[in-house]
Amino acid sequence: MNRLKRILLVEDSARDAELILGALDPHQLAGEVVHVRDGAEALDYLYRRGVFADRPDTQPILILLDLKLPKVDGLEVLRQIKGDAGLKKIPIVMLTSSRQEQDLVRSYELGVNAYVVKPMKFQDFVEAVKQVSGFWAVINEVPESLGRRENNGA
Amino acid sequence: MPTTQKGAGDASDASIETRHAEALLTTGALQSAIFNSANFSSIATDAKGVIQIFNVGAERMLGYTAAEVTNKITPADISDPHEVIVRANALSVEFGMPIAPGFEALVFKASHEIEDIYELTYIRKDGSRFPAVVSVTALRDSQNVIIGYLLIGTDNTARQEVEDERKKLDQGLRDQQFYTRSLIESNIDALMTTDPGGIITDVQKQTEALTGCTRDELIGAPFKNYFTDPGRAEAGIRRVLAEGKVTNYELTARARDGAQTVVSYNATTFHDRDRKLRGVFASARDMTELKRYEHTVQQNEIQRGRDVAHAKELAVVNQELEAFSYSVSHDLRAPLRHIHGYVEMLRVATSGQLSDKAQHYLTTIAEASVEMGDLIDDLLAFSRVGRAEIGGIPVYLGQLVQDVIRGLEMAIHGRHIVWQIAALPTVIGDVSLLKQVLTNLIDNAIKYSRTCDPATIEIGCSGEEAGRVILFVRDNGVGFDMQYADKLFGVFQRLHRPEEFEGTGIGLATVRRIIGRHGGRVWAEGGLNKGATFYLTLEAAPLSIGATA
Repeated sequence: MNRLKRILLVEDSARDAELILGALDPHQLAGEVVHVRDGAEALDYLYRRGVFADRPDTQPILILLDLKLPKVDGLEVLRQIKGDAGLKKIPIVMLTSSRQEQDLVRSYELGVNAYVVKPMKFQDFVEAVKQVSGFWAVINEVPESLGRRENNGA
Repeated sequence: MPTTQKGAGDASDASIETRHAEALLTTGALQSAIFNSANFSSIATDAKGVIQIFNVGAERMLGYTAAEVTNKITPADISDPHEVIVRANALSVEFGMPIAPGFEALVFKASHEIEDIYELTYIRKDGSRFPAVVSVTALRDSQNVIIGYLLIGTDNTARQEVEDERKKLDQGLRDQQFYTRSLIESNIDALMTTDPGGIITDVQKQTEALTGCTRDELIGAPFKNYFTDPGRAEAGIRRVLAEGKVTNYELTARARDGAQTVVSYNATTFHDRDRKLRGVFASARDMTELKRYEHTVQQNEIQRGRDVAHAKELAVVNQELEAFSYSVSHDLRAPLRHIHGYVEMLRVATSGQLSDKAQHYLTTIAEASVEMGDLIDDLLAFSRVGRAEIGGIPVYLGQLVQDVIRGLEMAIHGRHIVWQIAALPTVIGDVSLLKQVLTNLIDNAIKYSRTCDPATIEIGCSGEEAGRVILFVRDNGVGFDMQYADKLFGVFQRLHRPEEFEGTGIGLATVRRIIGRHGGRVWAEGGLNKGATFYLTLEAAPLSIGATA
């Protein structure tokens, strides 16, 4: 059976992706993650286009979004999602190396739900990813119209 | 008359006229015509001047009856006495002999057989006056001895009035001319007229100044001679003649001393009443000031252009720096994070299988990557200070210090520190940058006093310098050797080995840069194991603001 993935990870760095998955692994969340490598792929996934045309129509309940991405960058992905009535309810967490003020300001202007700077130390990094994902994917309640949790275990 | 009729019939013309004249005299016809004429005053005197005959005209003009003056007075008595004196004096000079100011003065010339007609003011019986023209003739007997004088006078009032009127008109005309001339002379432009051939016919002072030549030199000289390009000057005249006028025709005047003046030449033709061309009226406006102004404006434009270009360049450089630091913060940190991350994952994956030595290596790699991450962060902060806009708002230092100490909780944890914080002033500056300054200084104080128990950290003010307050942060820690004091504030300059005290060597450099950008200065005092004091100066807020703090 095609298992429903609840977290969309948009990250161009394979290493960062591996580290994030490594951080999620001990919490049984790694299996929930769909990893796409750029902004265009992220949008294709959400709009079920291209290689994702046949995926189930359930949307993720959390998007972990890097800022600096090939093709379509993180801010543009954020803008499109938050500008789409069908997608804007999905919580988006910026997970980025940048602590530049203008990136923060712009992200919040576009309606980001959280902004996390990837910590330098791995332990801190693991902790941050765990907390963020745990909060949004486990603790936080989302509207019915988003991913239905009861399907995930099936 | 029978005599006349007879003469006309049988005698020659000359003999007839002679006989007629004799007849006139003998019959007294001439005499009676003269003496009854109302338009001439005829006054006859004896040789001494005493009036003998006073005719009807004299009675009418002077208001006396003949009886009132005959054998009683001389004509000098009815003449303006002052004029008589003046006349006597003039005659005395002219003839080189004393002539009395009386009747003699009135008839002197006539008595010397000189024809004499003069103007004189007669005084009427009622005291009023009128100008008269008097003709004086001496009366002689057959032996040519003077027996009396005949003074024939006409009332000159009407003529005098006309004369006065004409004088008045002349004066008016002169006034008008003076006024017009004044206008021309006072014009700030050099004005001149030339004839149709370009020969100067008139100039005013400004033209004299422009050419360095006098009016006399200029008038009659060719106009074109006074310009650096005579051909162009002549072409200007030709154009006026052809088109009736020329405006803003640029010429360069050359004065006698060689001084050149750029002028704007404006000219029109002028004509007489018959519309006949008389010449050219030209004005030459000195364009020096305008040219200078234009030059200045132009220079300013150029400078502004340069400034704008420079500002654009700066903006580009700034943008590049911004992009650079963005890359640094994003791209340079990522591999470090990866190193650290993979080391940790390796440690977990090899848990229990690595030797202590191998574990130590992994720990060192992890630590080194963290250090480099800190270095990058500090360098970024340092470079941001150089570019940041400095805010200028009141900053309440007391409150800021408390905020900073709260933020350093991690560093303070487990330490025994005695804080001595004085009342601090309100200063003018950039809150976030000053917070960075205090954070770096207090963090240092905490760090370098960790060998002390208790450590004492003192924050306060120590007076003023050049109108700025002096703030200090003092600790009782390891201090430093004063001979290296100047090295404290350099980038990457450290006085301790990293094993002793961790750090990037950028913190104090950042402090100096921030305070420098606030217009203040920083310095340090200390001694080995005697603690350290860091001083900085900041602009005090006006009292009104400080008081409300």
